[in-house]
Formats: sequence, C-alpha cells, structure tokens
Amino acid sequence: MSPLRPLASQDGETMGELFHLEDVTKVYKMDEVEVRALDGVSFAIQRGEFLAIMGPSGSGKSTVMHLLGCLDRPTSGRMVLDGLDLLKASDNQLAEIRNAKIGFVFQQFNLLPRENALRNVETPAIYAGARRAERVRRAKELLERVGLGDRLFHFPSQLSGGERQRVAIARALMNDPAILLADEPTGNLDTKTGEEILALFQHLHDEGRTVVLVTHDQRVASYASRILHMQDGRILRDERVN
Amino acid sequence: MLRTTINSLSAHKLRTALSVLGILIGVASVIAMISVGQGATYDIRSRVESLGADLVTVSPAFRVGRAGVASTQITETFTLELADELSKAPAVRDVVPVIQTNGTIKYRDRNLQTTLMGVTPAYPSVVNYPVARGRFFSTQDLESYAKVLVLGSEVAQQLFPDEDPLGKEVVLERAGTRFLFTIIGVMTSKGQLGFGQYDNRVYLPVTTVARRITGDRTVNFYNLRVASADQVDEAIAQVEFILSRRISNPEDYRVRAQQDIIETVNQNAITMTFLLGGIAAIALLVGGIGIMNILLVSVVERTREIGIRKALGAKHRDILWQFLTESVFVSTLGGVMGLLMGVGVAALIASFSRWPLIIPSYAIFLALGFSLTVGLIFGVYPAARAARLDPVEALRYE
Repeated sequence: MSPLRPLASQDGETMGELFHLEDVTKVYKMDEVEVRALDGVSFAIQRGEFLAIMGPSGSGKSTVMHLLGCLDRPTSGRMVLDGLDLLKASDNQLAEIRNAKIGFVFQQFNLLPRENALRNVETPAIYAGARRAERVRRAKELLERVGLGDRLFHFPSQLSGGERQRVAIARALMNDPAILLADEPTGNLDTKTGEEILALFQHLHDEGRTVVLVTHDQRVASYASRILHMQDGRILRDERVN
Repeated sequence: MLRTTINSLSAHKLRTALSVLGILIGVASVIAMISVGQGATYDIRSRVESLGADLVTVSPAFRVGRAGVASTQITETFTLELADELSKAPAVRDVVPVIQTNGTIKYRDRNLQTTLMGVTPAYPSVVNYPVARGRFFSTQDLESYAKVLVLGSEVAQQLFPDEDPLGKEVVLERAGTRFLFTIIGVMTSKGQLGFGQYDNRVYLPVTTVARRITGDRTVNFYNLRVASADQVDEAIAQVEFILSRRISNPEDYRVRAQQDIIETVNQNAITMTFLLGGIAAIALLVGGIGIMNILLVSVVERTREIGIRKALGAKHRDILWQFLTESVFVSTLGGVMGLLMGVGVAALIASFSRWPLIIPSYAIFLALGFSLTVGLIFGVYPAARAARLDPVEALRYE
C-alpha cells in the first residue's frame, strides 16, 4: 500500500465527525505556578468543515491549535481524532498521526531553510517512507497547483513571503492529511497576498478539505463557515456563518 | 537522509572542516605513531639479527664499587687462554676474545678518537661483518703481533675523505704512547647497532693489543659463534660449565645469546608502540569532544528546524539518526583523511630515517574503528537531546 493517497479523492470520508474534544483541560506548570491554558473545552469538528478559532492572545487558541495538531496532549478530558484516542497515544504515535493526518501552515512559514522548495514539500513523504520517484512526482504536482511550477529549485530565502506560504501549503498537502491546520497564515503577509492565500484555503475547502484557521483577525475568520470565539481558556461562542 | 546530512554540514563549512580536522589529527597521529614504532622496531631488530641469532656473548659482570673503590669489571680470569678453553665446547664453532680500548688514530693532520677492537681473524664471520676492501688480518698476523689494522667504514671515511686508505701508515696513540700501524683493509658499513657502533671502530689483532698496547692479557668479552642455530641452548650450557670450573661465583659472568637481546628489543618495541599509540589516541578523544561540542551548539541553533521536522511527522529516531549521521559522517571523513595523512607522515618519517614503512593492518582498523566509535559515542548525547525536544517548545524557539 502506498503511503501517498491520490489527490482530491475524499469520497466516503467527506462526512462525519473528524475531531471530538470533551471537557479538555490543559495545565502548564511554570515554576510552581499552574497556568490553566484550557479550562474544560468541548467541541467537535466535522469532515469538510471550514472552521476559524478566534480570540485575543492568552485566550487559549494556540493551545487548542497545538492539541488539534497533535503536538501536545491534554492534561485531562477526552480527545479523539478519526477514532484514535489521543490521550493514550505515545510520542511516536503522535508523530505518525501528525505525519499522516495533519497538514500544518504556520505564520512564520517554517520552511526548512537549507532545502529547496521541492525538498521542503517532499519532507513529510520522506518521514512517511514514500519512494523517491513517487514523492518527487507528487511534490512537483502540488507546487504546480499552488502556482510555483517554475520555483521548484528555489530556496526559501529566494522566495517572497506569499511564495513561501504557498510552498508551506503544498507541503501541508503532501501526505493528503485529514485536516489542514493554519496558525495565523496571513500574519506575516501584506493584505493583497494574504487575500490570495486565504482564497487558496477557500479553494481547498471547496474541494472538500477540512480547514481550521487560528487567528485573532476578524477579516481572516470571515472566510470560515464556523467561528469558535475563545477567551480565558474557554469557548465563548460557537458561531455559524453563511 | 544523507542529502540532509550533507546539506546541513555544508551550511557550516568552516565548522565542519574544524571538526573533521580534530578527528583527522587524531587518526593521523595514531597511524603515524604505530607505524614509526613498528618501523623503528623492525630496524633495530634487523640490525641485531644481522649479527646472527646464533651469536653468544660471554662478558664479566660488574663489581660494585664501595667506599672510594671504583666499580670494575671482573676480568682477572677473562684471558686469551680462556678463549682456547671455551672453544673446546663441542657446540661452539668459534670463539673471539675481544679487548676493547680507546685511542686516537692520526693520519697527517687529521686525528680521530676511536675505539680499538682487539679481535681474532674469525671475527668477521662470527659477527657477520665482512671486509669491504683489502683483507682482514690473518692467523700469521696474530701470531707475529703484526702492527696492522682494519678500519670501520666511518673511520675510513673521516680519516681518508679523498684518499685510498689501503696501505697507508697511521699513528695510534694511547695513554701517551704512539704506535705506527699499516692499514690493510676497510670493513663494510653495518650501521648503528644498539650500543655498538661498529663503523666507528678500528680492528686489530688481539695479540698485538695485549702485548704492545695494553700490556695486559685480560679481555673484555668473548663473542662465540654456535655450531648451528639450534644448538644455542646447548652451547650456553657447555660454556657455563667451562666457566664454572674457573670462576667460582656464577654471578661474576654473564652468558647472553643474541636471541635474548632480540626478545628484549621486541618487548621494548611493543611497549613503545602502545605508548605512542596511546598518546595519539588521546588526540583522537579530544577530536571526539570537539565533535560533541559543535553538535551541541548545532542542536541549539537548529531547535526550530527540529520542531518543524517533528511537526511534519519526524519520530524520535528520525531526529536521532539525523544528528548521529552527521557526527558519524564527520568522524568517518576525518578518519579516512587522517588515515591517508597518517600514512603520508609515516612514509615521510620512514624515508628520512631510512626505516622501512610498516603500516600494520590492525592500525588501519583500529584508527577507522576508533574514529567511527568516537563519532557514535560523542554524537549520541547531542542527538538524543535533539530527539527529546518538545515539539511545541521547539517551534516557539526564535
């Protein structure tokens, strides 16, 4: 079985619950002082949803992003992704889940500085153990889809901010993840470029992908069809937009 | 995987080069030191062996000097007559009594401090030391106390830089007395041999020395040639028996076979090789610490990269391998380059000292194995530190 599933064929998986969080808390211990970053959060994410998580800094939205991205485990509560209990998962299992099911897009782009665009996009497939020919073909295809077919061998330092974020999106799509997780993806971009990136997310959502945006920006959140407003580690409001 | 390694190593070329250099110097010195040790040993051994393993030396022991009396050799019973006695031992082929004394040899305006060796005509064959030109003195010369001598090659060269020494008359001067001698031969070059510098000596009939120069029939030692190589032990036993009848205290003389000397040389050489190799190994260890140091810095610098890789699905072992590969790559590269460099240095030293170039295969395996191990050992800790990083913390690192 190839670790790389074909692109844009999400049939049969487009419906149903993807993420389930129930009474999730996250407590950080910092020098004897306990910081309650999340205080009993419950919500679910359906397949194919376009969700924005909004809130000021310190509201707990970053913590939610880390939990959804399987970079961290909750202190207590229940958290299930695609039928997998994340509280019981080991570090290596979480790494496997991140590799197979999560596509990250960061505010800082977070490309590997010493690898070219193609290599950056290939990286998740390398960790998945995909064969070279297969992953190169797919990485090229994805870079062409985000409009960077002529920038394959450019290094991050040779690309503009918008181009870097497109490479990051192509990389996030490499292993055909169940969820695209974007943390302030337009935070380091000018308005026009930011809108282009958001339009790309819109387009990916239209193709049937599950997209989660974490932002403090109302304008960015307005692209989503559902907005979770957070404050002080709790969900303030779960708003559906049309 | 290898490509990632090469990418990140070439991002800091100077740093990588210095790490490689640390290992390179270590491995090169291990190889060079072992090779020098082996070469020197081989050289000494081959010279000692050139005397022949079946050479036995009988020498008097030293008497401890006490209360103002100087230490002396017990030579009263070591006489020319004893040589005839010793040659009756069936396992002994030849006995050469040797009287060794110092003197000055003069030719025209040149003079040279030298060792005078009073020996018998059998001497060249007993110590494997033939005449190069002219002849050695004969039994007739010996019986007639002839004033003839044969020069060591070094003496001939220094005293007669551009003349043929054969047939020339020289003056020997010892303790204020002067003698006129005729040169009848020049020995081949034998080279430095332990404490004996054959080439810097002058050889003359032992009878001439005893009667004309020292006026004393006692000799310094006897060189014995055993009848055949497998009779060394027998010969020693026979000689010891003969000596025991003349000398009551067995502590007063020593009978040593060349074989024993060779064994001693070998043992000293092993000690020397290990000592040199050990010192070089410390250099290699220091190189390993250099790698670890650089790698620890690199882990901190690349905290964010590690975070990104973890977010993309890199497991504990992926990160561990990435850093371990870098460390092993650097140390192995240093090892291979150090091997070449070490062989080069060893070849250079060998050519200067005219030793044979010996690089034992164990030295190569030792050096490469050691550098690989150094890479692994000093890479594990930084690599494990990188692998253990918390992805959230690592991603936050600026």
